[in-house]
Amino acid sequence: MSTTAFPNRARVDALAKVRGEAKFAADLVLPRTLYAMTVPATIAKGSLSSLPVEAALRVPGVVRVLTPEDFPAPPPYSEDGPPPPPTLETIIAYRGQPVALVIAETLEAAIEGAEVIRPTYVAEAFACVMESAGAQRQPADEVAFGDAPAALSGAAATVESTYDSPTQHHNPLELIATVAVWEDGALLIHESTQASSLVKGAVAGALRLDPARVHVRGATMGGSFGQKAVQRQTALVARAAILTGRPVKLVQPRAQIFHTATYRARTRHQIRIGADADGKIVGVQHHVEQEQSPNGYFAVSEYHRDVIRMYGIRNYLGTGADIRLDRQDSGYMRGTHPQPAFFAFESAIDELAHKTNRDPVEFRLANDTRVDPQNGHPLSSRFLNECLREGARRFGWSRRSPVPGSMTASDGSLVGWGMACGIYQSATTPAIATLRIDARGHTRFAISGHEMGQGMRTAIASVLIQDLDIDPERLEIALGDTRAAPQHMTAGSWGTNSVVPAAMQAAQRMRAAVADLLDGRQVSGNLHRKLASIRRPFLQVEVTTVGPGQDQAALETLRQGGFAVAEAVYPEFSTFSYSAHFLEVRIEPRTRRIRVPRVVSIADCGRVISPRTAHSQVYGGVIWGLSHALREATEIDPRYGGYLNEDLADYVVPVNADIGEIEIGLIDQPDPLANPAGVKGLGQVSMVGISAAVANAVFHATGRRIRELPIRIEHLL
Amino acid sequence: MRPFTYIRPATPQEAVGAFAEAGEGARFIAGGTTLYDLMKLTIERPAHLIDVTAVRGLDRIEMDGDRLRFGANAAMSAVAGDPTIGRDYPVLSEALWKAASQQLRNMATVGGNLLQRTRCMYFRNGGGGIYPCNKREPGSGCAAIGGLDRGQAVLGTSEACTAVSPGDWPVALVAMDASIEVLGPAGSRSLPVGDLYRLPGDTPHLEFTLGPGEMITAITVPKTPAGRLSTYHKIRDRESYAFALTSAAVALEMSGDRVEGARIALGGVATRPWRASEAEEVLIGHLLTPELALAAGQAAFRDARPGRHNSFKTELGARTITDALIIAAGRGRT
Ligand SMILES: Cc1cc2nc3c(=O)[nH]c(=O)nc-3n(C[C@H](O)[C@H](O)[C@H](O)COP(=O)(O)OP(=O)(O)OC[C@H]3O[C@@H](n4cnc5c(N)ncnc54)[C@H](O)[C@@H]3O)c2cc1C
Ligand code: SF4
Repeated sequence: MSTTAFPNRARVDALAKVRGEAKFAADLVLPRTLYAMTVPATIAKGSLSSLPVEAALRVPGVVRVLTPEDFPAPPPYSEDGPPPPPTLETIIAYRGQPVALVIAETLEAAIEGAEVIRPTYVAEAFACVMESAGAQRQPADEVAFGDAPAALSGAAATVESTYDSPTQHHNPLELIATVAVWEDGALLIHESTQASSLVKGAVAGALRLDPARVHVRGATMGGSFGQKAVQRQTALVARAAILTGRPVKLVQPRAQIFHTATYRARTRHQIRIGADADGKIVGVQHHVEQEQSPNGYFAVSEYHRDVIRMYGIRNYLGTGADIRLDRQDSGYMRGTHPQPAFFAFESAIDELAHKTNRDPVEFRLANDTRVDPQNGHPLSSRFLNECLREGARRFGWSRRSPVPGSMTASDGSLVGWGMACGIYQSATTPAIATLRIDARGHTRFAISGHEMGQGMRTAIASVLIQDLDIDPERLEIALGDTRAAPQHMTAGSWGTNSVVPAAMQAAQRMRAAVADLLDGRQVSGNLHRKLASIRRPFLQVEVTTVGPGQDQAALETLRQGGFAVAEAVYPEFSTFSYSAHFLEVRIEPRTRRIRVPRVVSIADCGRVISPRTAHSQVYGGVIWGLSHALREATEIDPRYGGYLNEDLADYVVPVNADIGEIEIGLIDQPDPLANPAGVKGLGQVSMVGISAAVANAVFHATGRRIRELPIRIEHLL
Repeated sequence: MRPFTYIRPATPQEAVGAFAEAGEGARFIAGGTTLYDLMKLTIERPAHLIDVTAVRGLDRIEMDGDRLRFGANAAMSAVAGDPTIGRDYPVLSEALWKAASQQLRNMATVGGNLLQRTRCMYFRNGGGGIYPCNKREPGSGCAAIGGLDRGQAVLGTSEACTAVSPGDWPVALVAMDASIEVLGPAGSRSLPVGDLYRLPGDTPHLEFTLGPGEMITAITVPKTPAGRLSTYHKIRDRESYAFALTSAAVALEMSGDRVEGARIALGGVATRPWRASEAEEVLIGHLLTPELALAAGQAAFRDARPGRHNSFKTELGARTITDALIIAAGRGRT
């Protein structure tokens, strides 16, 4: 493995994006396109009793209205994983569920048609928040090792608290959009998706189509982060295209997206943690409850996976429960499980360090581990303490006065310095890639993977341009296209570390293939020129890679468009990424506005392939973490169900003026075991822990421990 | 999305005439930043739009004589960016600068601003038909009362409605004793800005005192030295681009550290732009100290009626007034 640092290359799509040339799904305008608009259910639970469509059909321009009758019955239950999302149904499971789809010649007509449809319902009692009467509590599997209760009973000091993290919704600027085209008996779906193969499977399953006749093309994505896996509207739009024989486009209004797309479940974490007289953590009890839809499969046990491996924890008892509610499915949202879990856990660590009179950085450094605490296997690489030391140095942590409320600014603001750590598993997926270089100057690399703005294309380009003498201007990297390569969902920070090794291997194989062809002849020029000189129109190589512990079966699953993730607790070792965040809050003396003028965030993501986009990942993670801590919460009125603050005016995300200085550092040490490129995941770990760092800083500034998010002015008055 | 007609008259008389002719379902439209929004939310369903942005001379900013005069069509950004206003009446320019975003301020007019409607989430959201709302559907009830009322008003509320009057600019204007000039089918008249707004009472759907087809042509502000010692202090959930949780428009006349005259109006906490005369009275004739400023702030909220989640607004509101007074008084020292 070459260990030279990669250059700080600009994003390959930077110019297209800043010039507005990048085509998002909603930008696609095909000839003869029809426009769709959904009709959302106005009750929270029950069934449709009538769905009159005549008024809509009278609106000039309306072509057709799809109702539940236009869809096949849902596919039978299968062991292979979650069923495709429902289509249009007469049973209403949550407010905002689509009950009809109006298709029209113009968007205006579709909207007007949707507005005049007034279904009637038989309403039933419902439960939509954790506190609702009738919410079903369903215990989850335990995750345990050692004997935490016994260890804690012998601890020199313990703390026990409950932490609440709210429901939160994805709100990228890009609205969810699908364009479906039915032509010659085949369906082509253009969609902003991080899982084109799963979309293909889900649409085929829901509409009973032969998967071989369904193709999905990922459009430029304006933010994914877990929202854009299998989406509720895709099969509806596809069905409309089939029934009308014309391209159909749906751009969902934001208020509807709140009600149909997945979101971050609210969670409540009860944590008991203790240390011995030397400040070593002796045990952790962690009980977590989360919101869950009636048939949701979003696993509670995953809140424990990363917590277990944060420090050298010898005894752990993880329990949990789902609170079943009449809501749409929750799902992944950046840093998914660790995000709220680490608000809780890293707050609890801070509470314990404070209680035992230890500096929170020293406390963490002293609780390092070299092995996976759950199974005793080695951690393939772990530079957490390096992150901590580097962060502390850059931040100037040694100048911190430890007593809460003891630091003030010249304008009277209370100053708080807080820190916290993050961790996220570095999982891997198999990859199948083809690399083709031609004599006319063009290079094409196709692989399973999706460009979500995280910079996958830029990382692959970095590798190919570094390893191959090709024309970088004409390098095409096909991602997210089920016609170009078998696709795997891109998520969970497994993107770069799954595709970069394949790109490196493809480059190596290409160089070997060229050398074979030349057979010792000296031919000048770049690879394109060389091929031209020896009259080879093109040269193509294919490579496959699998994650640690995976075999051919994983590749076969990938070819079938399935889910083939090697989780980071690999057979012989475990691989995690780490982060340490340091930040300052300033709190106004009277009106108590909380500002974060500076953050230092250091991450261990293995080897850095694309410095520019890696830094961007961490900026984005830090900012979203601040948002999690201080801004975002979805509001649900238990009397009505649905989401009240369903737009960007009422769902508060940060603006530029909220963001101060953010300094980022990357340890950039290759992981020796996880993959030949030495890469680990970065997207999620950069966000995990930030919210606890904020809460810890607020405590340091004020002496008040806030255990619910977002932290707002009223908490501190 | 309902079809509507659209015209663009060139004089105020034509605009008012067109409105009278169009009758029921007519609306004036200026920057459109409120009206189009409400149309998309199906709260406003006009049949005729009378666009006043081509009306000549309606965007003038005049400062001769004893009044400032802002044509109704002047852009928020134009008034906010006027250097004289910024220097002599910071309360006016800050109220505009701290509202919306630059893009919106470039489009939005100071006249249209006065007639924006509440941001009560139960009023705006749900697409209609979900949340009872007396403003949207008279007699249907009020979902905000007993609901998620963190953003709701604590002053001027009724059993029928607790919705906040959202604008910042009207709050500053009320503090500065501003008036509006109006042209209607029956001719022109002028009225204090404060009189433009109704309390919700039993009829929260009636918000303004303008008659049908009356058009705002200008806003006038009496000149006063108090303008120099003024500020618009706005506390919100983020640093910019948000409506106020609490705000205070303050202008002072000082003799040394003694308060000779005080004007205080509040935003974010009341059902109409709220002149806080109780707070003003606490100050007059006294040395301005932080303690006195807080006492004044508390006086303003003596009659506050908080709901379930917005009781913090009384404390925050009092402190907002405190800081605003300190900032305004501080302007006399530099
Ligand atoms: C995202 C967003 C954020 C915002 N944030 C803030 C904020 O923080 N603070 C704040 O104060 N405001 C805020 N606003 C509101 C903004 O200030 C108003 O929308 C704007 O001032 C309205 O002016 P306009 O010219 O666009 O009015 P229009 O939308 O054109 O009209 C508004 C109303 O006034 C009527 N009207 C317009 N002109 C006249 C006239 N000459 N005579 C009689 N009637 C007339 C119209 O019929 C309509 O009912 C925000 C708006 C948006 C969309
Ligand atoms: S407070 Fe007023 S605007 Fe809000 S729901 Fe109640 S009646 Fe409607």
